[in-house]
Amino acid sequence: MQITEIFSSQLPVGEKLTIKKGRFEPKERKPDTKRISIVSGTHGDELEGQYVIYLLSSWLRENTDTISGIVDLYPAVNALGIDTITRGFPIYEVDLNRAFPGSNHDYLPGQLVHALAEDVKGSDIAIDIHSSNIFLKEIPQIRINKEFSPSTLPLAKKLNCDFIWIHDAVTVLEATFSHTMNEMGTKTLVVEMGVGMTLTQVYGKQLLSGILNLMKSEGIISTDEEFEQREPFSSEVGDVFYINSPSAGLFVQSITHCAIIKKGDVIGTIVDPLSGKIHDTLYAPSGGILFTLREFPVVYEGSLIARIFGESHENN
Amino acid sequence: MKTIEILRIDSLNRSPLIAEGYLFEGSDPTAPSVAIVGAMEGETILPLYTASKLVDFLRHSLDDESKIVGNILVIPSVNHYALNINQRFWPLDKTDINTMFPGYGEGETTQRIAKKLFDALQGYTHGIILETREGISTCIPYIKLFESGYEDLKSAKKFGYRLIHHKSLRPTDTVSLQYNWQLWGTKAYSIICPSDTNIDLNTSNEVFDGIINFLSKNKIIQYKVLSGYESTIVKNRDIEIIKTSKSGIFIPTKKIGTTIKKDEMIGKVIHALEGKVTHRIFSPCDGLIACAYKNGLIFENAVAFRVIKSG
Repeated sequence: MQITEIFSSQLPVGEKLTIKKGRFEPKERKPDTKRISIVSGTHGDELEGQYVIYLLSSWLRENTDTISGIVDLYPAVNALGIDTITRGFPIYEVDLNRAFPGSNHDYLPGQLVHALAEDVKGSDIAIDIHSSNIFLKEIPQIRINKEFSPSTLPLAKKLNCDFIWIHDAVTVLEATFSHTMNEMGTKTLVVEMGVGMTLTQVYGKQLLSGILNLMKSEGIISTDEEFEQREPFSSEVGDVFYINSPSAGLFVQSITHCAIIKKGDVIGTIVDPLSGKIHDTLYAPSGGILFTLREFPVVYEGSLIARIFGESHENN
Repeated sequence: MKTIEILRIDSLNRSPLIAEGYLFEGSDPTAPSVAIVGAMEGETILPLYTASKLVDFLRHSLDDESKIVGNILVIPSVNHYALNINQRFWPLDKTDINTMFPGYGEGETTQRIAKKLFDALQGYTHGIILETREGISTCIPYIKLFESGYEDLKSAKKFGYRLIHHKSLRPTDTVSLQYNWQLWGTKAYSIICPSDTNIDLNTSNEVFDGIINFLSKNKIIQYKVLSGYESTIVKNRDIEIIKTSKSGIFIPTKKIGTTIKKDEMIGKVIHALEGKVTHRIFSPCDGLIACAYKNGLIFENAVAFRVIKSG
């Protein structure tokens, strides 16, 4: 594997910020050799992708003979943020996934994302791995912009995830990595799974199987090994229901993440530690699969508690 | 004057956040009206100070109540929670209220805050948002107007600031208050204030006088003012971006607001451990320093100055 720097900047006091890429490639390249880029750590508090890339890198090191395409790994886009538990780019407080495509004339975060986009450009496929944030836990899922779904949905189904969420085009999301790369012609998928500041090993291994499955089907690895490909739920055939906190307090879970639930099941309570009272009890507005559940217990009015994928509103 | 509760957000342990507006009802119901929004972020001291100073001015400095002709709503702070702990964004999830418009009443906390604020801001002829620059820079006071198709450059000149930045619209700007306010029929303007954390009275007077100019020239108040500048409209192509090739200790040798000549030294970078000058920054053009990096430590390739080109 070759390791190169795609961006570097000398920090003010005796330290260098570098964004690194690891590349696996076949012994011989052909004109139709495919290239896949795996990106993670755009948000400094999301670490699940680091683990997935570790697993993938480890697998490729042990199976170098299978490599028939180019695999580029970018585990830590916001390297400074990851090492300092900072979601955005430190000091600038910028969400890097709202700063694309950036430019050489932009401020430092804009220069960094520009360097990433330019480096990934030309890949056939890109996978951007996120792990929600510190507040919410997500089952392994793929987020797809409807605009690009004709080309990305078939790939998403191979990634061994539990849920595919196809969302409408939103202007503000044009500043994301996935939109930028899809616009540049790279089929880009966003994975959300797990929770911030944690490694959920079972999810990491599940996604590893999916990535290997996708790479095999695209001819990027050539192996007889079979990889799991589970059948995901798709938002095309149902609705997503949001449960937001109606009050401030401490959220206490009553249900397990990723559970199949019935309409009216109790998801949790909002309690007041001082008075010992329950402010609110939260019920499922629909039956279905609970694919998002709040992990961080302090809530304000409006804080997201859970998301359920269920039957469409008309049938509920 | 009436005090209006714009929004209330409860917290687990902190006292409730109650954002209030100060409504000054004008003597002429047919006159143009204005709403002014102060601090939406926590590190916006000058917007907070300017808005609160305006409340005091409207209450005490006009000798006759009838001199307030059109309705004026001033909301000095929306985000007390961030201000009180010196954080920039919403303290729990670090989201920026000014990227949540038009808001959503059933959504996340800052979407709900944006919705309540936006509802209270409807129906005004003009809207003024007091902001600071994003990133690590400070600037002279200027007007930022997006190229949205709804902007009113002619009215923006009535503030009398030196510059109006007529800025191309980015995707993230479509969820800002200015853009959405314009979309909903109010002529909205952002005043970009210096992002100093201390109050400089000369600068704050400049920001304040611009607002009074605007209110007076639009006949929202009757108050004799001295004219400001004949504002220059600046497009992105008129701005020279000057970066540092070295990181280290940054020493600007020219202040923002200074007119400079081509090849004039405007700053330098010092090696943080050895003290030697590693980089001298020279202006590539004649112009005006509109913005400068504000921290003492600077990154490599960071934008040190933005100069408005002249000549």
